[in-house]
Amino acid sequence: MSRMSRAVNGAKGGAPEGGGLLPNIRSLSLSSPSKHPATDPSSEVCPVCKSGTYLNRNMRFLVNPECYHKMCEGCVDRIFSHGPAPCPIAGCNRTLRKAKFRSPTFEDLKMEREVDIRKEVASVFNKKQADFETLRDFNDYLETVEEVTWNLILDMDVEETRERLRKYREAQKAQNSSTTRRALDHSQASDKRKGATQRKALDVSSGNTPEPFATNREDTGFSFRGLIKRKTPEPPKSFDPFDGWSIQPQYHILQDKYDVGWMTAAGKDANHSAGGYSMPAFYSQVLCDAFSGFGVFVEDEIKARETQASMDAGVGTRNAAMAAQGTKDVNMDDVF
Amino acid sequence: MNTNKIQHVSSPALRLPLSPRPNPSGAGAKLEVPEAKPLTILRASKSSVTIEDTIPQDVFEQAVDQSEALNDQVREQFVVGGRLGEGTYAIVYAGYYRQNPEHRVAIKKIKLNAEFKDGIAMDAIREIKFLQELEHPNIIKLHAVFSTKDQNLSLVLEHLPYGDLEALWKNKDVAYGAADIKAWAIMLANAVWFCHANHVLHRDIKGNNILIGPDGGIKLADFGLARGFADPGRPMTNQVITRFYRPPELLYGARYYSGAVDIWSMGIVISELCIRNFLVPSNTDIEQITAIEDIFGTPTDADWPFVSTLPLYKMTFDPANIKRPRPHSWWLQTMGILGSDGIDLLRGMLTMNPLLRLDSQRVLYHPYFANAPRPTMKEMLPRAGGGLKQTAEDHVRMESERVERFERGDKVARKLDFGAMRN
Repeated sequence: MSRMSRAVNGAKGGAPEGGGLLPNIRSLSLSSPSKHPATDPSSEVCPVCKSGTYLNRNMRFLVNPECYHKMCEGCVDRIFSHGPAPCPIAGCNRTLRKAKFRSPTFEDLKMEREVDIRKEVASVFNKKQADFETLRDFNDYLETVEEVTWNLILDMDVEETRERLRKYREAQKAQNSSTTRRALDHSQASDKRKGATQRKALDVSSGNTPEPFATNREDTGFSFRGLIKRKTPEPPKSFDPFDGWSIQPQYHILQDKYDVGWMTAAGKDANHSAGGYSMPAFYSQVLCDAFSGFGVFVEDEIKARETQASMDAGVGTRNAAMAAQGTKDVNMDDVF
Repeated sequence: MNTNKIQHVSSPALRLPLSPRPNPSGAGAKLEVPEAKPLTILRASKSSVTIEDTIPQDVFEQAVDQSEALNDQVREQFVVGGRLGEGTYAIVYAGYYRQNPEHRVAIKKIKLNAEFKDGIAMDAIREIKFLQELEHPNIIKLHAVFSTKDQNLSLVLEHLPYGDLEALWKNKDVAYGAADIKAWAIMLANAVWFCHANHVLHRDIKGNNILIGPDGGIKLADFGLARGFADPGRPMTNQVITRFYRPPELLYGARYYSGAVDIWSMGIVISELCIRNFLVPSNTDIEQITAIEDIFGTPTDADWPFVSTLPLYKMTFDPANIKRPRPHSWWLQTMGILGSDGIDLLRGMLTMNPLLRLDSQRVLYHPYFANAPRPTMKEMLPRAGGGLKQTAEDHVRMESERVERFERGDKVARKLDFGAMRN
């Protein structure tokens, strides 16, 4: 009975001994939850029906997180099976529902309540150190979170704290949801469609311009310094089979056909066409050999080579530079 | 027309990622380049007419000194490490940049060959000639070339320790899917397209020569058989390309061919990735023709004009036994993982008539690559574990990460995570 009353007191905000709690919680949270918290059968008596574990060894006790009053399974079935009803403990009067009843993880119901509150707060404040610019900012954040948690545990400014928590949760939800992000991107992207200005003007006058962050800036419940701005992932690029490379002749235009006697004859030769010899490839090569040297300026190549830190700027450029210096052709055979 | 283009290109803001390098404008400023720099190899070839005969002796010696200094300068940049492997004409060593030991390279030292006393093996010349011209993310990179004291040539190549595509499909521990095949196919197609756009025939495309880079991308390697496109009327050898990957026109003895030969090899490589087996294995060239005809049918003058004029066609042709190509259902059954568009591309690449075969550009424009599924990002591609060495490296890395985490933990206020206890 005395244990019971202490638990109730705790739930109602009896001052806990602050420092000693944390290690206690940790040690408890690691142990597996026991379904039969009663170790001493004589002390486990249901406060509602007064039946105890002495007579019924399989008796289970349940609590409702609304008020954390413990009662036996039988009483819960009896009182709450037909819908919500007030708590049968004298002086409580909170309306409870059967669905919310569960067997407590901890024997100490004060602890049970604190863990529940911490779970709830942690689900809203779920930032990590990586989300902050500096360690200091992260620690400030953790400080705020702990303050909120203890406010709720000690029943201080509960209404105000819950309201701020709610606002913050909604702000986070809005920021995280993809639809609002997309709306934001859309409003930021310059609208280049025809008649865009007119449409925008209409939107403003009718008052349904999507401004997802306008509400957030007003009151988000909490605001933290040093949060790293999240980058919206870039939209996937359109597919390019050449992976950004292109080789276009710059100093000549390639025709489909060149009517030069010996070349035309070769193109029509049975041996060439049976082996798949490609005349267009030959045209392209010949013209490239003839004209692509127009674009080579040795002094620029040297400059590029010198700016590059390592010497692996390309053996080709070095050889080209060498070859261009002499009277030789840029044919690589001559270098050897 | 031309002047317009030059101005367009010369403005730096408009410079496009063209290759060969976009052509910047430039005034004819004087250069500080040492005079003619023949490589030291020239000294070995005293028997034939060399530059020595045409240039005064002192100028020649000065040039040789300069070239040796330059060569030493290049050689000094690298530290040669342990031996990685040995091929028929080269030994490969691990190595790294002296300045930056993190930057690892593979150094391929060409063996001195009795056959080529006064020169270097053709393979090496081809490899140097083409690799220094081709710079593309899917083609192995040649960092530098230098010669050692005993007149040996060394090629400094990219270090690619993650195996090749053939080892990958042979390794039954590695599982991959349609998107992965597509990613490899498009990288390979890009490499082949880049070679052909620069008028280079690779002539030895096979799974063994397609290496996997540290970022998961694949790199076309071994340009030992590569050559430029030949002029019309100039025969090329038909004894190239590893047999399983050799196209029918080469097997029939064609001496005038084009980039279509590489496309066939590429098609075979992709089909092998699908079936995880060789598509057309054989022991002799004749068997190879038979194996190809079993799948693709016997070519006739009707579907491949003038095929009967090819030198070796008559050798295997038997009018009483003209094989029909496998039906489409066979392709769906064996290569089903590619989907119908992929099979269409594959059959385009594996067309018997080289003139009807897709060329490298049309391969890349094929809808297969643009259709779903998107090719896997190269970082996400499956690959075999890198052996003991790689495992050791991984362990070192994980260890350092753990230390970092621990150190950070000291300074952070402890946050109790009750969220994990939620039901």
